[in-house]
Amino acid sequence: MVHPESWTKRFAEILAREDGLAELTEVHWRIIDFLRQYYQANGRAPLNTELRKGTGLALAEIEASFPKGIRLGARRLAGLPNPKSCA
Amino acid sequence: MKKITLTVNGVLRSIQVEDDDRRVLLDLLRENLGLPGTKQSCDRKGQCGACTVLVNNRAVRSCLTRLRDLDGAEVVSIEGLGTPEKPHPIQEAYVLTGAIQCGFCTPGMIMATKALLDQDPHPDTKLIKETLQRNLCRCTGYTKILQAVKLAAELLSGQTTLEAVRPDPRDGLIGASLPRPNALALACGTAKFAGDMQMEGLLHLAAVRSPHAHALIRSIDYSTARAMPGVVGVMTAQDIKGSNRLQDDQPLLCDKKVHVMGDAVALVVAETKDQALAATKAVLVEHEPLPIVATTDQALTDGCIRVHEQIPNLCYEHPQIKGDAASAFGNSDEVVEAEFSTQLIHQAPLEPEAAFAYLETSEDEDEPKLVVVGRSINIHHHLMVLQKALGWDNMRYEQPFIGGQFGIKMDITAEGLAAAAALHFKRPVRYVCSLAEAMWITPKRHPFTMKVRLGARRDGKLTAYAIDFTVNNGAYMSVGRAIVNRSLYMLSGSYSIPAVEAFGRLVYTNDAWGGAARGAGPPQVNFALESAMELMAQRLGIDPLEFRLINSLRPGESISTGQVIDEWPYAGCLEAIRPHYERARRESSGSKKGRYRRGVGIAGGSFGIGRGGADRSNVAVELMPDGGLTVYGSISDPGEGNDAMLTQIAAHLMRIPPEKVLLVTRDTERTPDSSSASGSRVTYMSGGAMVNAIEQLKAAMAEISAQGYDDMIAAGKPTRYLGTRIQDATLLEPKTGQGAPFESRVHGAQMAEVEVDTETGNVRVVKMTAAVDAGTVINPVIVEGQIEGGMDMGVGMALREEYVHGRTKDWVSIHFPTMKTSFESTVILLQTPRKKGTLGAVGVSEFVLLPTAAAVITAIQDATGGARICELPATPARVLASLARKRAG
Repeated sequence: MVHPESWTKRFAEILAREDGLAELTEVHWRIIDFLRQYYQANGRAPLNTELRKGTGLALAEIEASFPKGIRLGARRLAGLPNPKSCA
Repeated sequence: MKKITLTVNGVLRSIQVEDDDRRVLLDLLRENLGLPGTKQSCDRKGQCGACTVLVNNRAVRSCLTRLRDLDGAEVVSIEGLGTPEKPHPIQEAYVLTGAIQCGFCTPGMIMATKALLDQDPHPDTKLIKETLQRNLCRCTGYTKILQAVKLAAELLSGQTTLEAVRPDPRDGLIGASLPRPNALALACGTAKFAGDMQMEGLLHLAAVRSPHAHALIRSIDYSTARAMPGVVGVMTAQDIKGSNRLQDDQPLLCDKKVHVMGDAVALVVAETKDQALAATKAVLVEHEPLPIVATTDQALTDGCIRVHEQIPNLCYEHPQIKGDAASAFGNSDEVVEAEFSTQLIHQAPLEPEAAFAYLETSEDEDEPKLVVVGRSINIHHHLMVLQKALGWDNMRYEQPFIGGQFGIKMDITAEGLAAAAALHFKRPVRYVCSLAEAMWITPKRHPFTMKVRLGARRDGKLTAYAIDFTVNNGAYMSVGRAIVNRSLYMLSGSYSIPAVEAFGRLVYTNDAWGGAARGAGPPQVNFALESAMELMAQRLGIDPLEFRLINSLRPGESISTGQVIDEWPYAGCLEAIRPHYERARRESSGSKKGRYRRGVGIAGGSFGIGRGGADRSNVAVELMPDGGLTVYGSISDPGEGNDAMLTQIAAHLMRIPPEKVLLVTRDTERTPDSSSASGSRVTYMSGGAMVNAIEQLKAAMAEISAQGYDDMIAAGKPTRYLGTRIQDATLLEPKTGQGAPFESRVHGAQMAEVEVDTETGNVRVVKMTAAVDAGTVINPVIVEGQIEGGMDMGVGMALREEYVHGRTKDWVSIHFPTMKTSFESTVILLQTPRKKGTLGAVGVSEFVLLPTAAAVITAIQDATGGARICELPATPARVLASLARKRAG
């Protein structure tokens, strides 16, 4: 997303279904909320170690919570832009 | 063995020297005495002058000076001349004149200047050029270095004082040529580059590279190498835990196949660099050679072997259709047709590839953090690339000072190998490439072949343009698709052309791979367009400047992408050039006969600001307890002067002195992602994001009438704000090439004055004049320096430079620009504030390269009356051939 500020929970739910997640649980939202708060404060995505500390969840649990993992799953649902090169 | 005694920077040193000791003074300074201000670039061939120091008051190349010859010598390195706290007047002169861009050449240049001024306190331009002609600089075009030497002479002789020449920030910060904040560290040799890094337990890396351009890897036997003295270990692809890919088609260490000569297949780490290099020779790699895809024509033939099995050699193509070009050509009074080609070029930053990596442990973290120090200009993106490639998430990318880059560091290679080795062997690893190796492993400017048709009415109005271009992508994708796209974004240059039909294709070969290079595509297609414009002006008998004015795009008209433009100050640039053009035409009119002939050529260009399409930059600011402002953003500054731009804007908006602004820009942990220092986007995008952050801070302060930090804390207000700048531009529609890729552009025109030796074909550029409108100018000297350096690079593209993979191996074979090839420059800065610019400003650095080559080639034709040269570079042989074609009728 070029405009992560225009992200909505509905946006996350639609992408989750695309990824095979019928429903976003409290754990999913905890992860998504942390990712968004971190990005809004720091202007970048957190490292996994920061994500683990920030959510209080084990890294394996976070990774397993999203069919496409953290980078391609959780971050995408949270509307975080990946660092870009020239397209 | 003998003991020698010498003085280094006033300190007496005794050294044991073997009879066959190969060490040179450079080794002593950098490795033994911890004085890395003295640089090395040219593989110790004495070509670059970056290692110049004083020995007994004479300037010498420390890379060629044997230690055993220095008994009793008095040596002064850059560190001994002055310090940032107490700089020498020569160092001050370089800072004040804007003679320091990347700063890698600066220590050697300053030491050579010291020796010159000791000998002759008042050298003229000719003597300065003769004395410093073997000290190379890629950034400046030497203009400001000449000014620095002259200012230094005046300072040392008392003709002027620092107080008299130093700008006063109280006179205003926008439009002020304040010294760059980093310049003094670069002038005094205290700025650390990647190759300067040291650490306890440091290992050295050397890579085993393929001698084949295309081959399968059958086996790798490193049993002998592993047992050699000093060797800590050998790594191959199977030792890398992640994807082992720098991009989809590019392995970090090749596993099954090599795609270009110089691909890395294994790496050795050892206690010393010599030990690592020796062991690479003992690694036995069994290759099965494959047919080499040498040219794009060969690559596109039916049945040609693929460079990458899963991807066709024709790896990307894109059309552009605006209006009905066929009908428009049919209704044209005149149509010119021509074929043009541009060459493979090395960006040639003076600093060779270097990287450093180590593991950092802390009690807070379960696993160590891999810290990678390298020359990337897109550190958050490359952190992500390395995390995937190595399968290691806990990582930080740090950027030291960068010795020039010109787009080359939109890709990383050395960083990946150093990081892989540090992770695998759990020791700090430094990888400093030789110059030849650095050339093998870095991307180049893509060569283009272009077939062009341009139509016009008899009254001079353009009717249609068609271009079919093929880009040799070399072995890896890099930003190849963007090169085609960017060429289409800026295809119609500065002009209003009602109908356009274009087709671009990108083709894999086993040649050196193309990547970002100052301008990245538009310099190549603009050469074709501006050349066709010249041919059409000749056909119609219209003055070239008038012809360009007739066709300059006007607000309300559209470029080739169909984007309707609302600001386009190109015509003003042509008008600014006009008096210089008329003067040059008069002066050259009497030099059209005889052996040496003079000619004049003009060309224009317009360049989009940003990556093209949607673009975003994040920058944070923090109000500090002392009233200062800290700016956080991954904003690389490999020499463009972004440090000054950010500092001057921030100080201006916050109404604080520049020295109260602190920039934090060099690591991924402390910075928001400001994205790349490419597409001339830094001032516009990252400068804009900083302005947005400052506006948020000032709004928050205004809410509570805060006077400063204490009031904000007392009110419980945040002192840090994250700003963003988003460019809502679009990519091109795939079938028509239509879209709105940029919000704003920089415009300009250039004039070349040349002298041609009609017997040898040699061309001397006498003078370049540039009129550039980049909106508000934040720091005039820095903008001038970018334009002067860009024109020097453009002249190299026009006349000399061509990289041949495997054959071009040093600064001589690359035909690096020198003071001898440098020329007089006049820069005219126009300032039409851009509606969406940062305080009205856009970027300028890449645009400069667009008009230069066409202007120089036109000037050659004007001088000789020969046929137009359509292949770059215009070597003496091609100049003579054009004269012969003319004579043959």
